[in-house]
Amino acid sequence: MYRYRVVSVIEIRVDENACNGCGLCVKDCPMQVYELRDSVSVPVRAASCMGCLSCHEICPAQALEHRGVYPSRRHYIDIRVCEMLNRVI
Amino acid sequence: MTDGTIREMKDAFSTSTVYRSEDVPLRCIPPPDELEDTLHGLMKLNGLIIRSLEEIAGRGANAVTYRAGRKYGHEVAKYFRKIENVEEALKELSYILHGQYTIEIWKPADKDRYIIEENGSTFIYLVFHDCIVRQTLRRNGQPQGGPLCLTLFGYVVGAIEEITGKKAKLEIVHTGPNACLKKLILQ
Repeated sequence: MYRYRVVSVIEIRVDENACNGCGLCVKDCPMQVYELRDSVSVPVRAASCMGCLSCHEICPAQALEHRGVYPSRRHYIDIRVCEMLNRVI
Repeated sequence: MTDGTIREMKDAFSTSTVYRSEDVPLRCIPPPDELEDTLHGLMKLNGLIIRSLEEIAGRGANAVTYRAGRKYGHEVAKYFRKIENVEEALKELSYILHGQYTIEIWKPADKDRYIIEENGSTFIYLVFHDCIVRQTLRRNGQPQGGPLCLTLFGYVVGAIEEITGKKAKLEIVHTGPNACLKKLILQ
Protein backbone atom coordinates (compact mmCIF):
# COMPACT_ATOMS: atom_id res chain seq x y z
CA MET A 1 0.00 0.00 0.00
CA TYR A 2 1.29 3.44 -0.89
CA ARG A 3 -0.27 6.51 0.64
CA TYR A 4 0.35 10.22 0.60
CA ARG A 5 -0.57 11.71 3.90
CA VAL A 6 -1.48 15.32 3.23
CA VAL A 7 -2.80 16.11 6.67
CA SER A 8 -1.73 14.15 9.72
CA VAL A 9 -4.67 12.50 11.42
CA ILE A 10 -2.78 11.26 14.43
CA GLU A 11 -4.05 12.55 17.72
CA ILE A 12 -1.93 12.11 20.84
CA ARG A 13 -3.25 12.19 24.37
CA VAL A 14 -1.12 12.20 27.51
CA ASP A 15 -2.62 11.12 30.80
CA GLU A 16 -1.41 13.99 32.98
CA ASN A 17 -2.06 12.04 36.17
CA ALA A 18 0.01 9.10 34.98
CA CYS A 19 2.91 11.01 33.36
CA ASN A 20 5.85 11.24 35.77
CA GLY A 21 7.74 13.78 33.67
CA CYS A 22 10.73 11.52 33.04
CA GLY A 23 11.18 13.09 29.59
CA LEU A 24 12.05 9.81 27.84
CA CYS A 25 9.48 10.46 25.09
CA VAL A 26 10.95 13.94 24.57
CA LYS A 27 14.43 12.50 24.12
CA ASP A 28 13.36 9.54 21.99
CA CYS A 29 11.10 11.21 19.43
CA PRO A 30 13.02 12.05 16.25
CA MET A 31 10.42 14.63 15.24
CA GLN A 32 10.38 16.54 18.56
CA VAL A 33 6.68 15.91 18.99
CA TYR A 34 6.83 16.24 22.78
CA GLU A 35 7.97 18.96 25.16
CA LEU A 36 8.13 18.92 28.93
CA ARG A 37 5.96 21.61 30.49
CA ASP A 38 5.58 21.78 34.28
CA SER A 39 7.03 18.27 34.52
CA VAL A 40 4.40 16.81 32.19
CA SER A 41 4.96 15.70 28.60
CA VAL A 42 2.91 17.72 26.13
CA PRO A 43 2.52 16.70 22.45
CA VAL A 44 3.24 20.10 20.92
CA ARG A 45 3.84 18.88 17.37
CA ALA A 46 1.43 15.98 16.98
CA ALA A 47 1.14 16.76 13.26
CA SER A 48 4.76 15.65 12.84
CA CYS A 49 4.12 12.23 14.39
CA MET A 50 4.72 9.35 11.98
CA GLY A 51 3.28 6.70 14.28
CA CYS A 52 6.40 4.69 15.10
CA LEU A 53 5.10 4.27 18.69
CA SER A 54 8.59 4.29 20.22
CA CYS A 55 7.23 6.61 22.87
CA HIS A 56 4.65 3.99 23.82
CA GLU A 57 7.34 1.42 24.26
CA ILE A 58 9.60 3.70 26.26
CA CYS A 59 7.01 5.34 28.53
CA PRO A 60 7.34 3.76 32.00
CA ALA A 61 3.96 5.11 33.10
CA GLN A 62 2.07 4.03 29.97
CA ALA A 63 0.58 7.51 29.90
CA LEU A 64 0.29 7.88 26.13
CA GLU A 65 -2.53 7.24 23.73
CA HIS A 66 -2.35 7.61 19.95
CA ARG A 67 -5.44 7.78 17.77
CA GLY A 68 -5.42 7.40 14.01
CA VAL A 69 -2.17 5.41 13.83
CA TYR A 70 -1.76 2.81 11.10
CA PRO A 71 -1.09 -0.42 13.02
CA SER A 72 1.58 -2.47 11.29
CA ARG A 73 1.13 -6.22 10.88
CA ARG A 74 2.29 -8.17 13.92
CA HIS A 75 3.87 -11.57 13.43
CA TYR A 76 6.12 -11.72 16.45
CA ILE A 77 3.66 -12.80 19.07
CA ASP A 78 4.78 -16.03 20.67
CA ILE A 79 2.01 -18.50 19.94
CA ARG A 80 2.77 -20.76 22.91
CA VAL A 81 2.96 -17.87 25.39
CA CYS A 82 -0.37 -16.55 24.07
CA GLU A 83 -1.95 -19.99 24.43
CA MET A 84 -0.70 -20.19 28.00
CA LEU A 85 -1.96 -16.69 28.78
CA ASN A 86 -5.34 -17.48 27.30
CA ARG A 87 -5.56 -20.54 29.51
CA VAL A 88 -4.63 -18.54 32.61
CA ILE A 89 -6.85 -15.55 31.82
CA MET B 1 16.44 -45.24 19.91
CA THR B 2 13.95 -48.01 20.58
CA ASP B 3 12.18 -50.04 17.90
CA GLY B 4 8.90 -48.56 19.09
CA THR B 5 10.09 -44.99 18.43
CA ILE B 6 11.31 -45.88 14.94
CA ARG B 7 8.02 -47.64 14.14
CA GLU B 8 6.08 -44.63 15.42
CA MET B 9 8.07 -42.29 13.16
CA LYS B 10 7.66 -44.59 10.18
CA ASP B 11 3.90 -44.74 10.79
CA ALA B 12 3.68 -40.95 10.92
CA PHE B 13 5.18 -40.63 7.45
CA SER B 14 3.49 -43.62 5.76
CA THR B 15 0.43 -42.81 3.69
CA SER B 16 -1.44 -44.43 0.85
CA THR B 17 -1.17 -41.28 -1.31
CA VAL B 18 -0.24 -41.87 -4.94
CA TYR B 19 1.91 -39.01 -6.21
CA ARG B 20 2.44 -38.71 -9.97
CA SER B 21 5.03 -36.51 -11.59
CA GLU B 22 2.31 -34.46 -13.27
CA ASP B 23 0.68 -33.70 -9.89
CA VAL B 24 1.76 -30.09 -9.55
CA PRO B 25 0.48 -28.53 -6.32
CA LEU B 26 -1.80 -25.61 -7.14
CA ARG B 27 -2.11 -24.17 -3.67
CA CYS B 28 -0.16 -24.00 -0.41
CA ILE B 29 -0.37 -27.07 1.77
CA PRO B 30 -1.40 -26.53 4.53
CA PRO B 31 -3.59 -23.46 3.84
CA PRO B 32 -1.94 -20.11 4.67
CA ASP B 33 -3.81 -19.65 7.94
CA GLU B 34 -2.18 -22.82 9.27
CA LEU B 35 1.33 -21.65 8.37
CA GLU B 36 1.94 -19.63 11.52
CA ASP B 37 4.42 -22.14 12.93
CA THR B 38 6.29 -22.18 9.62
CA LEU B 39 6.47 -18.39 9.64
CA HIS B 40 7.87 -18.42 13.16
CA GLY B 41 10.40 -21.03 12.11
CA LEU B 42 11.48 -18.85 9.19
CA MET B 43 11.81 -15.80 11.41
CA LYS B 44 13.92 -17.76 13.89
CA LEU B 45 16.12 -19.07 11.08
CA ASN B 46 16.64 -15.58 9.64
CA GLY B 47 17.55 -14.28 13.09
CA LEU B 48 20.00 -17.14 13.54
CA ILE B 49 21.69 -16.45 10.20
CA ILE B 50 22.11 -12.77 11.03
CA ARG B 51 23.40 -13.54 14.52
CA SER B 52 25.93 -16.00 13.12
CA LEU B 53 27.05 -13.47 10.51
CA GLU B 54 27.52 -10.83 13.20
CA GLU B 55 29.59 -13.27 15.23
CA ILE B 56 31.83 -14.09 12.28
CA ALA B 57 32.10 -10.73 10.55
CA GLY B 58 31.62 -8.40 13.55
CA ARG B 59 30.88 -4.84 12.49
CA GLY B 60 31.65 -5.78 8.91
CA ALA B 61 28.34 -7.67 8.82
CA ASN B 62 26.49 -4.41 8.10
CA ALA B 63 28.61 -3.69 5.03
CA VAL B 64 28.27 -7.26 3.78
CA THR B 65 24.47 -7.34 4.04
CA TYR B 66 24.05 -3.82 2.64
CA ARG B 67 26.16 -4.70 -0.37
CA ALA B 68 24.34 -7.99 -0.88
CA GLY B 69 20.94 -6.29 -0.61
CA ARG B 70 21.96 -3.54 -3.03
CA LYS B 71 23.18 -6.04 -5.58
CA TYR B 72 19.97 -8.01 -5.27
CA GLY B 73 17.93 -4.81 -5.63
CA HIS B 74 19.78 -3.97 -8.83
CA GLU B 75 19.31 -7.49 -10.19
CA VAL B 76 15.59 -7.64 -9.43
CA ALA B 77 14.80 -4.12 -10.65
CA LYS B 78 16.44 -4.76 -14.02
CA TYR B 79 13.10 -6.15 -15.13
CA PHE B 80 11.05 -3.23 -13.78
CA ARG B 81 9.80 -0.30 -15.83
CA LYS B 82 12.37 2.52 -15.91
CA ILE B 83 11.07 5.74 -14.38
CA GLU B 84 13.08 8.92 -13.89
CA ASN B 85 10.75 10.45 -11.32
CA VAL B 86 11.80 9.25 -7.85
CA GLU B 87 8.34 9.53 -6.33
CA GLU B 88 6.88 7.44 -9.16
CA ALA B 89 9.71 4.93 -8.76
CA LEU B 90 8.94 4.60 -5.05
CA LYS B 91 5.28 4.07 -5.90
CA GLU B 92 6.23 1.28 -8.31
CA LEU B 93 8.53 -0.33 -5.75
CA SER B 94 5.90 -0.10 -3.05
CA TYR B 95 3.43 -1.83 -5.36
CA ILE B 96 5.90 -4.64 -6.07
CA LEU B 97 6.75 -5.12 -2.40
CA HIS B 98 3.14 -5.04 -1.26
CA GLY B 99 2.41 -7.71 1.29
CA GLN B 100 5.96 -7.70 2.63
CA TYR B 101 6.66 -4.03 3.19
CA THR B 102 4.42 -0.99 3.04
CA ILE B 103 6.17 2.30 2.41
CA GLU B 104 4.78 5.79 2.83
CA ILE B 105 6.40 8.95 1.51
CA TRP B 106 6.32 11.24 4.48
CA LYS B 107 7.14 14.81 5.47
CA PRO B 108 7.26 16.63 8.80
CA ALA B 109 4.42 19.11 9.34
CA ASP B 110 6.69 22.14 8.87
CA LYS B 111 7.79 21.11 5.34
CA ASP B 112 5.82 22.02 2.24
CA ARG B 113 7.23 19.44 -0.15
CA TYR B 114 8.04 15.74 0.04
CA ILE B 115 11.37 16.24 -1.71
CA ILE B 116 13.31 18.20 0.87
CA GLU B 117 16.44 20.23 0.16
CA GLU B 118 18.56 20.95 3.22
CA ASN B 119 22.25 21.79 3.66
CA GLY B 120 23.02 21.05 0.03
CA SER B 121 21.45 17.57 -0.01
CA THR B 122 18.15 16.43 -1.46
CA PHE B 123 16.19 13.74 0.32
CA ILE B 124 12.81 12.12 0.86
CA TYR B 125 11.57 10.75 4.16
CA LEU B 126 10.14 7.25 3.98
CA VAL B 127 8.09 5.59 6.69
CA PHE B 128 8.22 1.80 6.61
CA HIS B 129 5.00 0.53 8.15
CA ASP B 130 4.56 -3.23 7.61
CA CYS B 131 8.00 -4.82 7.54
CA ILE B 132 8.90 -8.47 7.89
CA VAL B 133 12.44 -7.50 8.93
CA ARG B 134 11.13 -5.58 11.95
CA GLN B 135 8.81 -8.44 12.81
CA THR B 136 11.65 -10.94 12.58
CA LEU B 137 13.99 -8.89 14.76
CA ARG B 138 11.37 -8.23 17.39
CA ARG B 139 10.27 -11.86 17.33
CA ASN B 140 13.84 -12.90 18.13
CA GLY B 141 14.62 -10.09 20.57
CA GLN B 142 17.32 -8.64 18.32
CA PRO B 143 18.01 -4.91 17.99
CA GLN B 144 16.67 -3.00 14.99
CA GLY B 145 18.98 -1.18 12.58
CA GLY B 146 21.47 -4.05 12.29
CA PRO B 147 22.56 -6.22 9.35
CA LEU B 148 19.09 -7.55 8.54
CA CYS B 149 17.72 -3.99 8.28
CA LEU B 150 20.66 -3.10 6.08
CA THR B 151 19.83 -5.91 3.68
CA LEU B 152 16.46 -4.30 3.13
CA PHE B 153 18.06 -0.83 2.84
CA GLY B 154 20.47 -2.11 0.26
CA TYR B 155 17.62 -3.72 -1.63
CA VAL B 156 15.56 -0.49 -1.69
CA VAL B 157 18.60 1.60 -2.70
CA GLY B 158 19.59 -0.85 -5.43
CA ALA B 159 16.07 -1.01 -6.81
CA ILE B 160 15.62 2.78 -6.78
CA GLU B 161 19.00 3.27 -8.46
CA GLU B 162 18.10 0.75 -11.12
CA ILE B 163 14.61 2.15 -11.74
CA THR B 164 15.62 5.82 -11.84
CA GLY B 165 19.20 5.53 -13.12
CA LYS B 166 20.25 7.90 -10.32
CA LYS B 167 22.57 7.28 -7.37
CA ALA B 168 20.87 7.08 -3.99
CA LYS B 169 21.67 6.46 -0.33
CA LEU B 170 19.46 5.45 2.55
CA GLU B 171 19.86 6.46 6.17
CA ILE B 172 18.06 5.17 9.25
CA VAL B 173 16.63 8.11 11.12
CA HIS B 174 14.59 6.21 13.70
CA THR B 175 13.37 2.70 14.40
CA GLY B 176 10.21 1.97 16.32
CA PRO B 177 7.93 -0.94 17.17
CA ASN B 178 5.22 0.17 14.73
CA ALA B 179 7.10 2.07 12.01
CA CYS B 180 10.60 3.16 11.03
CA LEU B 181 11.69 6.47 9.53
CA LYS B 182 14.32 6.42 6.78
CA LYS B 183 15.85 9.12 4.64
CA LEU B 184 16.38 8.43 0.95
CA ILE B 185 19.21 10.75 -0.07
CA LEU B 186 19.33 11.51 -3.77
CA GLN B 187 22.71 12.18 -5.31
